[in-house]
Amino acid sequence: MTFQQQAPDTGANTSYVPVAVQRRGIPWGGLGRAVWRIAVPVVIALVIGAIALAIGGEQPLVIYGMLVEEAFGDAARWNATLTAATPLLFTGLAAAIAFRGGVFNVGVEGSFAFAGLAASVVGAQTAGLPSALAILACLVAGVVAGVLVALVPAVLRTWCGVDEVVSTLMFNFIVTGVTAWLVQSFFLAPGQANSATAYIGAGAELPLLAPPGQLGVGFLIAIACVIAYAVWARRSQLGFEFDAVGRAPRFSAAQGLRVRTVLMTAMLASGAIGGLGGAVHALGVVHRYSAGFSASFGFTGIAIALLARFNPVGIVVGAIAFGALAAAGATVQLFINIPIQLIDILQGTVMMLAVAQFALPRLRRRRRGAQRSEVAS
Amino acid sequence: MIDSIINSTLILAVPLVFAALGGAIHRRAGVVNIGLEGQMLVGAFCGILASVATGSWFAGVLAGAAGGALTGFIMSLVITRLSANEIIVGLGFNILALGIVGFVLRSQFGVSGTLKFPDQPRIPRLTIPGVEEVPILGAVLSGKDVLFWLAVLLIPVLAWAFAHTRWGVRTRATGVNEVATASLGVRALALRDTAGTLAGLLAGLGGVALALGVSGLFNENMIAGRGFVALAAFYFGRSKPLPTALACLLFSFFDALQIRLQTGGGYSADLIQTLPYIAVVVVLAWTGITGLRRRTRVAV
Repeated sequence: MTFQQQAPDTGANTSYVPVAVQRRGIPWGGLGRAVWRIAVPVVIALVIGAIALAIGGEQPLVIYGMLVEEAFGDAARWNATLTAATPLLFTGLAAAIAFRGGVFNVGVEGSFAFAGLAASVVGAQTAGLPSALAILACLVAGVVAGVLVALVPAVLRTWCGVDEVVSTLMFNFIVTGVTAWLVQSFFLAPGQANSATAYIGAGAELPLLAPPGQLGVGFLIAIACVIAYAVWARRSQLGFEFDAVGRAPRFSAAQGLRVRTVLMTAMLASGAIGGLGGAVHALGVVHRYSAGFSASFGFTGIAIALLARFNPVGIVVGAIAFGALAAAGATVQLFINIPIQLIDILQGTVMMLAVAQFALPRLRRRRRGAQRSEVAS
Repeated sequence: MIDSIINSTLILAVPLVFAALGGAIHRRAGVVNIGLEGQMLVGAFCGILASVATGSWFAGVLAGAAGGALTGFIMSLVITRLSANEIIVGLGFNILALGIVGFVLRSQFGVSGTLKFPDQPRIPRLTIPGVEEVPILGAVLSGKDVLFWLAVLLIPVLAWAFAHTRWGVRTRATGVNEVATASLGVRALALRDTAGTLAGLLAGLGGVALALGVSGLFNENMIAGRGFVALAAFYFGRSKPLPTALACLLFSFFDALQIRLQTGGGYSADLIQTLPYIAVVVVLAWTGITGLRRRTRVAV
């Protein structure tokens, strides 16, 4: 079941409205549509967040202004924001690369966490190695772990036609259980009360870019990955095939495109990038694996990829925006007593509505006039 | 030992059965409901607040069901009327539900995580006098609450409704082929919304069963993946009421066993908890492989 096929049709009337009609409704071409698609979920999310704040007895606009100030106010704030954006760049990219090929990998979260454990375990063993080698070993371990998590759903999807959405979702929970068991039974740091692995060796830590801040080389790796993705999607043959298969799998198969190669590559590459993200997070920020390693970075990545519609620039912007929310939310909570769950509210709403199709009012009226039916319920 | 495992298996199964049957209805109407987790959470939260406010567990049950139904309806509207992908909407909805509940907990009650009231009404357990002493039968029949019996009743009623009522047949038809059904004049979208609302209502009841029946308090992490286990259960039972409920029993048996074994040691609770999810992957793989064979046979 691919992404497009899976979106439920909305009844006989709305599902087969030709694309051309939608174009007529919005005359400013692709840009206008992109802005509209992003603006509507974001604005609705901000309104819902504002309602929550107002009910909580705060002034929404003041809080929002504060969040912006805390996220982008000065260099140190930028540093924190970009640090928070780094894992999201990886997971957003991981989700986007799968979606582009028409597979819906919900399991980036699992890849991220499993890779974090793998990188931490390898990192703890690298005491004698030169730094570059130690880091490389950890990153490779992370990528392998990320691919492993995606492997079974990928095989099932490619050769058995098994819906990858539910299987990857299930794998997130399987990974949660298995990593908890692995940590508990094999890798528990001595003298630790809660389940966490030992800290990685100092040589395996990723260097920081601006030392007092947390921003590390991981951010540069993430940006390099996004650029590589952009070039690859534009310039390579497989990049083109991804696009075609993602849009119209059966047509692509009929045209002789390598559908199975695309599906397999999409899933495994998604797992690999998610895994790289997990390894970078372990080496650059937390320096070990503990329960709750991923603050649902995988799911936030899905929201980012959907909002960006797989566009590389959009992924960067989205990751920075969500990173800013997380970083600023954490500091604002220290000053005022607003619950940090505000960020969950914003993120959840954006995610729910990012895949919704908002027709412009004008278009909607015309469609209804043409067909006289219960389009608008 | 056996009696207490049977007893806790059955009690732990009640929230799962409600949520899974709700998911099964929604699945039959053609939508995979990933939001059961969030709907259970909202149901539990509304249930605990209303029962404390009124002092009556029955009001709590009603409020939980209503809260769940409302969220189910809203989620369904986003899926059907804005043609959004059901999986993503469900995932987003879970995050949103957790966010709203956590936000209200902290801003209105000033607590983080757990909400417990001293005069918390609980759903009373019905002890059946004569049967209670009988070894296994007593554990099966006695000491259960009203929601348990409601869940038991719901299984045959739902099976009958799917098979024999106009609503059931039309809902199943919508799930099989929405366009064809709509072309026959059935209001497919409205049926899907009904199914989504029912799913939310039942998931809300499941949350209430957990909050007012099993634990007697509210915790924002109390659902702990039960919504996804319910998803696993209706996948396992192919959305048929009785097999779905039996799958719930199987999973809650693991749960009860795991709680027992934790003191004994040797078995990892973390691994046992992954069993439902592994089961779903196996079921998916199995149906995929058999479906593949059938398809190729037709092609040849």
